[in-house]
Amino acid sequence: MSVCPPYAPFFGFAGVASAMVLSTIGAAFGTAKAGIGIAGLGTFKPELIMKSLIPVVMSGIIAVYGLVVSVLISGALTPEGYPLFAGFIHLGAGLACGFTGLTAGYAIGIVGDACVRAYVQESKVFVSMVLILIFAEVLGLYGLIVALIMNSKVAGGVGDICYS
Amino acid sequence: MSTSEQAAIGKLNTNAASNGTLFKLVIFSLSLGIVPLTSYYGSLHYLWNGNSTFAAITAIVAANIVLIAYIILSILEDKQSSQSPTRISAQALESKKER
Repeated sequence: MSVCPPYAPFFGFAGVASAMVLSTIGAAFGTAKAGIGIAGLGTFKPELIMKSLIPVVMSGIIAVYGLVVSVLISGALTPEGYPLFAGFIHLGAGLACGFTGLTAGYAIGIVGDACVRAYVQESKVFVSMVLILIFAEVLGLYGLIVALIMNSKVAGGVGDICYS
Repeated sequence: MSTSEQAAIGKLNTNAASNGTLFKLVIFSLSLGIVPLTSYYGSLHYLWNGNSTFAAITAIVAANIVLIAYIILSILEDKQSSQSPTRISAQALESKKER
């Protein structure tokens, strides 16, 4: 049983792909659901559109979290000297960031849709909408922090154990 | 509401919509994509000497700064546009009273 088998980069690349794909699914759902509410608001009060686009921008931030983790992990992948330990860590980091981005995007979509529709009638809903959206986005940030902590274990280069 | 007031408010809405809103949205969309990546690679090479964790944290802080700038800009624009239509409708009401 070798420490650095040739199929180890499969898990690393699976981590890269899952971070990007899953967080983008969450961001797409958030953008779509909030966009439905904004289209409804735009027929009544078009001057409120800039303020009501905040859920869409926050969904974009969720996708940026997945992008940063993908770029971070893919910078450490090499064909030689890549232990299976590093492959598993990269897979775990990508899955952590991806699934939390999925949940954060789902929450942002539903909250954004409902709060933007309520903002047509009551303008004091805006502050509570921003607060709830910030709490929903912090869920994605937690996944990013865990991904960063996991990745820092192999960031210094652990390929030396392949050749010992 | 009289037709002149309706026309004035309609013109104000189209002006506000065509002036800066689309341009601002395009700028923010582009910066949301460009700012995190450039800050990641720039800070990786020039600030942190290859420590990728700190570079990722820098990219995330930069993306959140873009988000906060968007929120502040949208609140300021709403305050600006809420002051001018009340002035225009007040002028229209005064001109009606003078007749």
